Amino acid sequence: MAFVLGIDVGSGFSKAVVLEGGVIRSFALMPSGGDYREAGRMISQETLRKTDLTMDDIVYTVATGYGGNMVDLADQTATDISCNAMGVNHLFPSVRTVIDVGAQYSRAIRLDDAGRIANFIMNEKCAGGSGKFLQVAARILHINVSDIGELSQNALKPVEFTTGCAVFAESEAVSRISEGASPADILAGIHNAMASKIVTLVTRVGLAPDCAVTGGGAKDMGLVRAIETELGKKVFVPDEPQITAALGAALIASQQL
Amino acid sequence: MDYFAGVDIGSTMTKVVIMSDRIEASLIGPTGPEHRKLANRVMEEALGKARLTFEDLKYIVATGYGRINVPFADRQITEITCHAKGLHSLLPTVKTVVDVGGQDSKGIKIQNGKVMNFVMNDKCAAGTGRFLEIIADSLGVPLEKIGEISLAAERIAAVSSTCTVFAEQEIISRLASGEPIANLIAGIHDAVATRISSLVKKLNVEPDIAVTGGGAKNIGLVRALESKFGCPLLVPPEPLITGALGAALMGKDICDKYAAEGQKPTRSSRGLEEATFFK
Repeated sequence: MAFVLGIDVGSGFSKAVVLEGGVIRSFALMPSGGDYREAGRMISQETLRKTDLTMDDIVYTVATGYGGNMVDLADQTATDISCNAMGVNHLFPSVRTVIDVGAQYSRAIRLDDAGRIANFIMNEKCAGGSGKFLQVAARILHINVSDIGELSQNALKPVEFTTGCAVFAESEAVSRISEGASPADILAGIHNAMASKIVTLVTRVGLAPDCAVTGGGAKDMGLVRAIETELGKKVFVPDEPQITAALGAALIASQQL
Repeated sequence: MDYFAGVDIGSTMTKVVIMSDRIEASLIGPTGPEHRKLANRVMEEALGKARLTFEDLKYIVATGYGRINVPFADRQITEITCHAKGLHSLLPTVKTVVDVGGQDSKGIKIQNGKVMNFVMNDKCAAGTGRFLEIIADSLGVPLEKIGEISLAAERIAAVSSTCTVFAEQEIISRLASGEPIANLIAGIHDAVATRISSLVKKLNVEPDIAVTGGGAKNIGLVRALESKFGCPLLVPPEPLITGALGAALMGKDICDKYAAEGQKPTRSSRGLEEATFFK
């Protein structure tokens, strides 16, 4: 059986997936750092290390993501939008709307009935709907980004932020904390502000059920719940929501065989 | 002599002007989370400077973002109205005002000291003083120095990010790759000026144009705005106090109007005390 590799070098994290006959053999993720070429090599090594394979066993490699063009060991590149759509379609064939919340960008992708991209909208101009906002929240509350989701579940009265701007919300959050707001209420408020920005993108591409959330943001259950409330719909979340684009890249690679 | 006071509680700075037929005293202090509750302190200080007591003030108008937090004010009036009023008294030829505040930016069209139309951005930090504050901080340069530093730029290092958060990252990585600070700051001024001018150009911009607010104290930003508007811009001698000055002048107008009808305006029952919340 032939092995293929999909590499997604994102602005925050790099991810890779090894596929064998459409089945995931191994995957890995790690922070990208500043050197995307090196990130591509490191994540490939890490993913192969989890198997008994070497790069020589890989028949075809597709790279994607913000730093995808820098990955020198790839046979070809593909856009992260198409890879993410492909990955989600593989996991959840019924999904027609994909919401991807990355470290610096959020996107809404609309799929047609065949699971191909019909339309997409990306917000790269504003940190308000991106994972960056969660990093800002974690910094001012002195907590880890990975703890935000659970902590936010204890919110009793989410803080209402006056704008969706991450910079203004930071100063507002600091004022609210000094007035006694709990970290959970701050976080729930940030989730609501983010969800409102993100859902604006979804509305612009046109919401069609079913809906899935991917990217690092999908690991934050508080954010996922806030998106569900804002959409008025349940969403699918992959077990490993950060690797869907790498999976899609690997699926594109397997089509080349 | 009748004395009138204007208190402008901005998001970043609190300004007080006390005037008779001329400006008796003006004071600028940081708003901060505590100062917002203590507008009276800035007022006390301004009264001290003018050698007056609180009882000497005939009427007090509060304006700005925190105007409801001034319990001793006799009236609250929006900062747009007060700005137009204050600026008109200083620079009567001005028809368009560009105000660059700590957390917002505005364009105001004025005619005979009255507001004809206005646009405002208080939703996004890009295009506000906050953007400059964050970038200056990450470059390790005092905010009040960035204007002068940028004048030494050999070229404008264009900044592609709109969002303050992303621009900060972009600037840091450009600095690391060897771009001189002056060029980067010139790029930042250009970005802020682009953002502000595209907001203000939603109005029918007519000269003369004046710049007010903290941004007007930044010569680099003023130059960048001049290149976007294609004409020289006027800057009042103290660009921060136009709102407070306008507020004091509005107070005088109110008293004059009542006096013309043989009446006295109703005044706040509260003295010079802290704003109390949750009561």
